Amino acid sequence: MATPDASDEKPRDNPILWVARPMATAARQFTKSLFRPSTIVYPYERLEDPQFRDRLEVASGKPFGVGRVWDNYRGVHALNIATCISCNLCAFSCPDICIDMVTVPGGDPKHPKKCPQIDYGKCSYCGFCSDACPEGCLTMTTRYELSTPKRSEMVYSPEKLFAVFRSKLPMNPIRLARPANEDAILLDPPLCIGCNACARDCPTGCITMLDVAKPEAKPGEKLPRRIWKEPVVNDSDCVRCGTCISVCPKECLFWGTRK
Amino acid sequence: MSTITLYSVSYDLASVLLGALGSILPGGARAAITSADVVTGLSVLIFGVILLAASMLNTILLIWWERKLLGRFMDRRGAMHVGYAGLLQNFADGFKLFRKDTVRPREADPLGFLTGPTAYMVTSMVIFGILPISTGWNSGALPLSLLLALAIFSFAPLFIFVSAWSSNNKYSLMGGMRSAAQMIAYEVPLLLAVVAVVIVSGSFSLTTIVTEQQNYWYWGPLVLALIVFVAAMLAEMERIPFDLPEAEAELVEGWNTEYGGMLFAFFMLADYLRALVGSILVVLLFLGGWTMPSWVPSAATSFPLAGIVWFMIKTYLVFGVFVWIRASLPRVRTDQLLRVGWNRMIPLSLLAVFLAAALVIVKCLPVFGCLPSVGG
Repeated sequence: MATPDASDEKPRDNPILWVARPMATAARQFTKSLFRPSTIVYPYERLEDPQFRDRLEVASGKPFGVGRVWDNYRGVHALNIATCISCNLCAFSCPDICIDMVTVPGGDPKHPKKCPQIDYGKCSYCGFCSDACPEGCLTMTTRYELSTPKRSEMVYSPEKLFAVFRSKLPMNPIRLARPANEDAILLDPPLCIGCNACARDCPTGCITMLDVAKPEAKPGEKLPRRIWKEPVVNDSDCVRCGTCISVCPKECLFWGTRK
Repeated sequence: MSTITLYSVSYDLASVLLGALGSILPGGARAAITSADVVTGLSVLIFGVILLAASMLNTILLIWWERKLLGRFMDRRGAMHVGYAGLLQNFADGFKLFRKDTVRPREADPLGFLTGPTAYMVTSMVIFGILPISTGWNSGALPLSLLLALAIFSFAPLFIFVSAWSSNNKYSLMGGMRSAAQMIAYEVPLLLAVVAVVIVSGSFSLTTIVTEQQNYWYWGPLVLALIVFVAAMLAEMERIPFDLPEAEAELVEGWNTEYGGMLFAFFMLADYLRALVGSILVVLLFLGGWTMPSWVPSAATSFPLAGIVWFMIKTYLVFGVFVWIRASLPRVRTDQLLRVGWNRMIPLSLLAVFLAAALVIVKCLPVFGCLPSVGG
């Protein structure tokens, strides 16, 4: 058994200090919080109120919301209906399946405009939808008060999300770093029938149907029945939503890397 | 004009009430209802009601005071929503408890389970009743009121033990055992510290002890006795750091684990009533009761009810010190409490008794002045 080293022994305090020291600490705390305790009286005061700017350690000179605390805050979404292109990417990327694309007025009758409706009862505020939004019209704000007595009121319609957008809260357009040359939409030409479905449903209108030369029929060969057009995708305008792939009747569009 | 006392107020109130009632009654009934015996009986009743109301009001205010102070010690605000600055919060809590059902465990002994809290409450009220608050409010101007108060004060562990054992819960029983066990640690130094005061003042009557402090309060020359008394009083009131019987971290809720509703409210109120009584005793024995030092301007000491007001201010400040101690110190173990009680507090209190005896012999101290001549 090791003998205890003399240096291991703690110095023995005066027992009076066991009482006096904590009482002095408590008295110091008391005098400090006598006029203004650290607590924020929440429903009446908020952390984002100007008098608490110091507590948020917001860098001086920067507008509110660019400081440290709110930098990456993910609260209720704000949706700019005007710039939404109904690409569905938010709904695709949602891991909680809480986004529904619902019709909003303003589209043409044949192709109604659809915008995201978010069920905050399911939302986990991961921000993937905002990240995926190609137009930056779905952002996350610093609003965090959602309590309501009804579950149905947790579902925010596009109009309600637009109202959040118009309230001019600090917004946080989440953008994750992505490779510049991502997957592109490629075409398998022999399968295409030139039906125009992809160009019709493309939210950005980056697909144009170009004429292709009708080949000479060899003797005995029967040409397929089709429209002699093929889609050409403008990669710089494409938002990679994949709508064209999902509407293609012949499955001739696919993800790939353009050579 | 004779001095207004609590009894004279209640007597006047009774005669006014009965006179008003008698004026609308026929002659025979009027004579019966305004007879001296009925007036005396009703005035005693009103006297008791005033005492009851004062004790409960002060207890509830004391809980509010503790919550507010403790909040500041913990860098928060305490109760603040119900009433001005949360003053009515404890009334709301009380009403909530009052509305609740009294649940008794099936295996509990009904007699002890129900009488324990009641007796605890009643004895605490009796102590409050016999304590003098000012010259007018000395309902129990008994020659041995200090002895009586301390005797009733030390009843509590018995009732705690009875109710803890009756509730048939191991944690309750452990709390009750601890309550009985810690009594032997603090009771002797508490009484020895009181003996020091009694030696200097030459009386067991609380009224006399206060009037003897006209020249100087006892906390200066008897500071040792004050320290021992406060420490022992903390254990007597079972407050942190000596709240072993109610150690929430170890024994669910201690001896009142099985109690809910109004019975729990009884315990809660009685706890704070005992805290109030303890603070009052400190003020009476060491801080001069309702007297004020001579340097205080007479305008501040001669307004109506000045004695009561000054007394309550002192009491709440003393309780503030108790809250300060609660906010600072951790709970001790039983063996630590016993060691502190027997190894530290008893020698200290014996020393305090010795110093008090020396003070009586010397009679005059350089800073504090002279004792009043005994019996003068």
